[in-house]
Amino acid sequence: MAKNIYIGKILKNEEVQKDCFLMKIKIAVSFETPLPGQFVMIRIAGLNDPFLSRPISIYSFSRKNNFCLIELLYRVVGKGTQIMAGLIEGSQVEINGPLGNGFEIQSVKKNVVFIAGGIGIAPLSLLIENLCRRFPSSLMTLYFGAQRASAVIGLNKLQKMCRLVNICTDDGSLGEKNLVTRVFQKDIKKFLPEDTSIYACGPKEMLVALGKIFSKNEFDCQVSLEERMACGTGACMGCAVAIKDKKGALVYQRVCADGPVFYLRDIIWE
Amino acid sequence: MKLKTAPRMAVNLGRLKLKNPVMTASGTFGYGEEYADYVDLNKLGAVVVKGLSLKQRLGNPPPRIMETTGGMLNSVGLQNIGVDAFIEDKLPFLRKYDAAVIANVYGETYDEFKKVTKILSAAKGVHALEVNISCPNVKSGGVIFGSDPKIAARVTKTVKEETSLPVIVKLTPNVTDIVAIARAVEKAGADAISLINTLTGMSVDLKTRKPHLKNITGGLSGPAIKPVALRMVWEVVQMVSIPVIGIGGIMTAQDALEFLIVGAQAVQIGTANFVNPHATMEIIEGIQSYLAANKIKDINEIIGTFQP
Repeated sequence: MAKNIYIGKILKNEEVQKDCFLMKIKIAVSFETPLPGQFVMIRIAGLNDPFLSRPISIYSFSRKNNFCLIELLYRVVGKGTQIMAGLIEGSQVEINGPLGNGFEIQSVKKNVVFIAGGIGIAPLSLLIENLCRRFPSSLMTLYFGAQRASAVIGLNKLQKMCRLVNICTDDGSLGEKNLVTRVFQKDIKKFLPEDTSIYACGPKEMLVALGKIFSKNEFDCQVSLEERMACGTGACMGCAVAIKDKKGALVYQRVCADGPVFYLRDIIWE
Repeated sequence: MKLKTAPRMAVNLGRLKLKNPVMTASGTFGYGEEYADYVDLNKLGAVVVKGLSLKQRLGNPPPRIMETTGGMLNSVGLQNIGVDAFIEDKLPFLRKYDAAVIANVYGETYDEFKKVTKILSAAKGVHALEVNISCPNVKSGGVIFGSDPKIAARVTKTVKEETSLPVIVKLTPNVTDIVAIARAVEKAGADAISLINTLTGMSVDLKTRKPHLKNITGGLSGPAIKPVALRMVWEVVQMVSIPVIGIGGIMTAQDALEFLIVGAQAVQIGTANFVNPHATMEIIEGIQSYLAANKIKDINEIIGTFQP
């Protein structure tokens, strides 16, 4: 028995752009330091409606003398996140985590490429921070696509950490007016599979497009997935994703316990 | 006046003796290890593992779950590693703990029930079997076996003939007359009955007008179904003489006590584990505190004391 359910106190919960919130939570010092790519299950204590906790990836984490700070960057997509968005400073939330497996970062190569779509920047931001600290000599390049300029969240911080930041938006209000996958594809010749690590997170359409790009070459790309979850701990089998096993056969793995990070080439899209 | 000793919590389900009446419900607690970081498995009355079939099952395509008001729908479709892998990879872990291990048995055919039962009965560390004739999310077997008294009885008989372990039969609520099914499996030799499995339901996405579940329908669980479960347990306990295990939307000790008062000998905690991984521990402690506060020395003094 090692894991607790933590009571977190909301220090800040602000709308950083339309329908997109940044929640800063103060939590006990015993909270385990999360690996980039891990997530928490969050709920309002005692409420049966919404009934389930919500899985949210960890955007930033810091350890102070006698407490920890977690930041969650989330988009309002339904009832649960709507209620989360309405929570005021000082409110309490129940936090189960950190959960899942983070990004594989043991063998980071000379070039590191991050491909983010919209709110998909959330887990990548923690990863970028972590890799900058651990592998200062790696060359970090970020491709960040969003609907509009205001949805490019945390740009200042990201520009300080990455050698090159390529921004594109759907409406052209910041950077190139293009899809992030197309911007990356134009640049792909700059990278060699043997010395490049690639990490991506974004909407399904973006990941499917990346899957097509990487099907023609040897790049290994890790992606962080999201799925509706009930437990977050591997028991309910609800968050299934179709994966190719070693023999190439379809198996369903759990986004929560087997992921949420998977190798893009293993994912079977419908 | 306080009681000098803690209230006795042990209950008997026929030959199966449990140190307390709180167990986990199949499909909500994995193979035990998924919750070992949160729960002291030694404190549980029993662990009922995910339904086991002869070969591993892939399960249904996603999306598999959807939240509903006070509950959730699932259409997992009995994804499991198969009985042999369970015995090899999961059972050794469970054997280390002082909780009864109850294996949930699933088959698409009588023959599969027979084979799975035989394999589990030969394994060390399985204390009882729970026969799954109530899964609503599989095309063959499952709820089909549980909807007809004659077929339910035949499955029960098939399993009983292959094992000397206590046999619990888990019933579906998706029937017109649950008492008829309960009596049929009792007559066929069931040592105990557990109920209810999930209620079949569905949910529609307004944007796409498609079902939220790929399988269209799924099983509803959670506090939303508790009153239905309680009513069915009450109906069944009056008409059978074998022990009944109450399942359905139990979130708290108060919920569990309602089932015990109505006449269930034990309870299973299911969906509550997803929402609160400590639910089983809190329910055990809550029942103990209730008994102590009411100066009840033995939990058996409260079972079946319903005053209609």
